Amino acid sequence: MRTIEGVRRSGVAVRPDETIQNAAALMEQAGVGSLAVLDGDELVGIVTDRDLVRRGLARGLASDARVDGVMSAPVVTISADSDLHAAFSVFGQHALRRLAVVERERFVGMISIDDLLVDLANDLSALVRPVTAEVLFAHRDSPVPSTA
Amino acid sequence: MQASPGDRIIIKGHRIGEPDRDCEVLEVGDDGAPPYRVRWGDTGHESLFFPGSDATVQHFDHANS
Repeated sequence: MRTIEGVRRSGVAVRPDETIQNAAALMEQAGVGSLAVLDGDELVGIVTDRDLVRRGLARGLASDARVDGVMSAPVVTISADSDLHAAFSVFGQHALRRLAVVERERFVGMISIDDLLVDLANDLSALVRPVTAEVLFAHRDSPVPSTA
Repeated sequence: MQASPGDRIIIKGHRIGEPDRDCEVLEVGDDGAPPYRVRWGDTGHESLFFPGSDATVQHFDHANS
């Protein structure tokens, strides 16, 4: 599966000069916990709800402070065409909960650890189903193939 | 996904009890492709939107507008 196919949530992006108050309002309205920060077509940062709290509110920044003053940069990215399992490796190497997905160096979406957990749960469920049946119905034998 | 200015995008809630979200498409990319410039809710906040599998488009009937 390609990484872009594992992205389950829509992505939202803002300009670097967006205010942190508007960024928070956008997160609330869009139901997302992070925003990509785009300067034109260039991905220059990511701002999360955690960034707004720890780097904005906790430091007493004014509500009209710019997003690029609290965002995380540079951005750790992953190619949209890469195998989804490559995302596991990237998450394992960096203390991140989200990765920016890029296609030809342009932001196209965000993938989170939650997205990977959903895929893992689906894969495990598919594996466990026949094993569970065997455990619960231990006396069920497979039919002997006919040799006639 | 293909959208036109004036269309509405619905984003399904991700958790039990979480309401759906919606926004109005203001601008689209080449051939109606994303990303879209959208306006959210009553506050009028605008942003770029990159639709995922949780989003669907309600097309606006431009002919009858």
